[in-house]
Amino acid sequence: MPTSPSGSRKSVSHLAVLQSKKSISFTEKAKEALKKGFSGVNQSRMGVSRNLVILPEMKTTEKVNVPGPKTVQVLDENGVDVTPRPLYSSDPGAAKPSKLLSSQEGSLGSDIMASYSMYQNTLNPSVMGQFTRSALGSSTISKSSISATESMAEDLEEPSYKGEKLASFTDMQVMRAAPETVITKEDLEKNIEILLTETDTLRFFDLPTVMISVESEEAEKVIQRNNKYETLCRNRLGNDLYVERMMQTFNGAPKNKDVQCDRIIMEDQGVMATTWDLYDSFDALKLSSSAGKRYAVESSSKANVLPKERLEQKLPAALTDKTSETSSLMDLENVILSKVHEDEEDHAEAIFKSDKFLQDLFFMERVLMENIFQPKLAAYRQLPILKEPEPEEPKEFSECVKVEEVEEVKEEEEEIEISEEQTIPANLERLWSFTCDLTKGLNVSSLAWNKLNPDLLAVGYGHFGFKEQKRGLACCWSIKNPMWPERVYPSPYGVTAVDFSIGTPNLLAVGYYNGTIAIYNVQSSGNVPVLDSSESPQKHVGPVWQLQWIEQDRGTTGDDKREFLVSISADGRVSKWVIRKGLDAHDLMRLKRTTVGSNKKGGEKDKKGEALISRQAPGMCFAFHPKDTNIYLTGTEEGHIHKCSCSYNEQYLETYRGHKGPVYKVTWNPFCPDVFLSCSADWGVMIWQQENFRPFLSFYPTTHVVYDVAWSPKSCYVFAAANESRVEIWDLHASTLDPLIVNVANPGIKFTTVLFAKHTDCLLVGDSDGQVAVYELRNMPTASDCGREDVINALLGCKFN
Amino acid sequence: MTEVEETLKRIQSHKGVIGTMVVNAEGIPIRTTLDNSTTVQYAGLLHQLTIKAKSTIRDIDPQNDLTFLRIRSKKHEIMVAPDKEYLLIVIQNPCE
Repeated sequence: MPTSPSGSRKSVSHLAVLQSKKSISFTEKAKEALKKGFSGVNQSRMGVSRNLVILPEMKTTEKVNVPGPKTVQVLDENGVDVTPRPLYSSDPGAAKPSKLLSSQEGSLGSDIMASYSMYQNTLNPSVMGQFTRSALGSSTISKSSISATESMAEDLEEPSYKGEKLASFTDMQVMRAAPETVITKEDLEKNIEILLTETDTLRFFDLPTVMISVESEEAEKVIQRNNKYETLCRNRLGNDLYVERMMQTFNGAPKNKDVQCDRIIMEDQGVMATTWDLYDSFDALKLSSSAGKRYAVESSSKANVLPKERLEQKLPAALTDKTSETSSLMDLENVILSKVHEDEEDHAEAIFKSDKFLQDLFFMERVLMENIFQPKLAAYRQLPILKEPEPEEPKEFSECVKVEEVEEVKEEEEEIEISEEQTIPANLERLWSFTCDLTKGLNVSSLAWNKLNPDLLAVGYGHFGFKEQKRGLACCWSIKNPMWPERVYPSPYGVTAVDFSIGTPNLLAVGYYNGTIAIYNVQSSGNVPVLDSSESPQKHVGPVWQLQWIEQDRGTTGDDKREFLVSISADGRVSKWVIRKGLDAHDLMRLKRTTVGSNKKGGEKDKKGEALISRQAPGMCFAFHPKDTNIYLTGTEEGHIHKCSCSYNEQYLETYRGHKGPVYKVTWNPFCPDVFLSCSADWGVMIWQQENFRPFLSFYPTTHVVYDVAWSPKSCYVFAAANESRVEIWDLHASTLDPLIVNVANPGIKFTTVLFAKHTDCLLVGDSDGQVAVYELRNMPTASDCGREDVINALLGCKFN
Repeated sequence: MTEVEETLKRIQSHKGVIGTMVVNAEGIPIRTTLDNSTTVQYAGLLHQLTIKAKSTIRDIDPQNDLTFLRIRSKKHEIMVAPDKEYLLIVIQNPCE
């Protein structure tokens, strides 16, 4: 029998324990131990063994005087020391948990104690009675060593235990509750960083292969062994050496044990990785690596964790219906904002000041305009009109719908035929008008399209007469916003001429009533001119009646196409302005007063006697030949039209006499280079041919001054004329006696300018109330092969008498 | 600043405009012509819709981004100009 150490009390139990190692015939011994009055205090637990002995519950308060640790030796029959070696060696570090155990008092289950995680100490928990135990394995009791038990036991000061006497063999390492500390709100909200790392691979079971290659060295031995084993198996059957015997194993009664633990709170966290999120994260990584740490609100050292964290941060905003923005930067800002109210107001101000806000407002306004003006704009752009689904019965004819929309327009004159005839004559349909509070009451003096952006229109406002002079305005309107100009350039003087540059389309030249010319850059939103001619010594001293940018080939000087500004003014000079360092002027022509004609000698005499105030005739208009930019026409206040050349600045090439009053506009036909059109204050509109010095055709439609004429860009026969009371569209192909369309103005309003739109069938008409109305030409007779010289020549030829 | 004010005023006075709102990123109205409850309701709902629309656009092509959102309904049209810091909302009745 194995010897047991001193300590009679223990010896019994030890015996019991020891006996258990011998698997067979163990029961009796245990019973013996019991009979001996087993009053083990600590060791009562030891009764928990394989046999079903239930040891009496003992509540002891006496302390166990545990002797010092003694090494227990286990010897088998032959005296071989088969002391099992402890699986766990208690080290000084383990003293800590033991202290915890020793100071245990009080309620069951409230404190958790550290227990040794070793098989040997299976019996201890029952003694403590105050910590949780885990499931038992009945086989492990055999491994319990006495030494370990003793070492545990000595630590006990209070061996009292309650509860079951089951020995827990496998024990848990449980954490003792930390001392009570005050947990503040900040602590709760603090970011706790959890580092997840991969542990080393723990091998719980390693069964190496038992297959060996046939060719290896050990193959021989293994094969031999296998053969031996086979023979053994075979021999076993009838052999006397091998006896089969039954055995009864003792199964311990299983017992269920409930464990109570603190509630484990679980949270589900999901992340939706959208494509743009990934893209943003990768972008942010690039940005944060190159630039500052703008995006890395968290510590940027964890670069690889960064995307995940950002995802998680973004995610709650998306999932939990918060109104916070989905950027980490904004989350931080939100936190700050929610705390300080004053910051919020500043933030609001910042929004208003941001450029993006202005841009958004700009777009919003345009969108609103589009909604309001959609039918009109669509008609302008020759797009199908979006029809709103009417709540009333649907209309049958699309024409009716159009008519209805037109009727909704609360403007005045329209020459719409509301009848549903098959053929509707040509008419002007008023689409909308550019007008706003700023321009009310001003007289529209000039219109010009932008060369690059066909939606941009420059309008000059200024009165014609000397007595009516008021302040002036030059505005840039956009088709997309008919209710408010994009740019407003006010000035104290009336604006008399505007034109956009060809080469640099953002430059707008504006001519004033006092003779100055200013050049604005419409790209900038300020209203200070880029260049001004008011200090130039060669500035005009009379109103600048027309401005035009001309591109001229200057092969000799080496430049491809130099552009310069040509102006004509009432002081009788046609000047060419070049932008070098400032505006430099060079006179192209001085318009001299010419006599009536050499036919009337008497007239000459009279003329000579006249005291002329000035030898120069005020120029009112000019027009450069579309094909040859050296030749241009000028109309003067005398009524003469002179053909001049840039090469000669003293003499006219030709003079066309026909008008009796100041010639307000002269313009070449864009299709037929020989024909030009002029209008004047003598109520007449005249068509000339270049070769003839007498007008080819003349029209006197009304007894009002004709302010403006313009050829249509689409048809060589069509032109528009604006006189004080009406706008007329003439079609020479149809009739030379009557205009095709007549649009009468409201009483009190004079039409002062006309301008055709280039790519659409629309006409812009400016009037003396500051409105620029846009009309659509509808049902115009289709222009049959236009643009060929011979056609119009044929026409003119047959009319020419 | 004044240009912003002017443009806002013009927008508010346009034909058919029922209401104009500027709300910040949290849904708090900064400038509005409607009553507070309506504004807050619009802001909250449209904010979510804007986020969804933006997510859709960017999912298809991450380099793209949402600039403007228009919702046309039977009664009116809601136009939203989204941004990181604010939402500009205009409700218009386009027929009349």
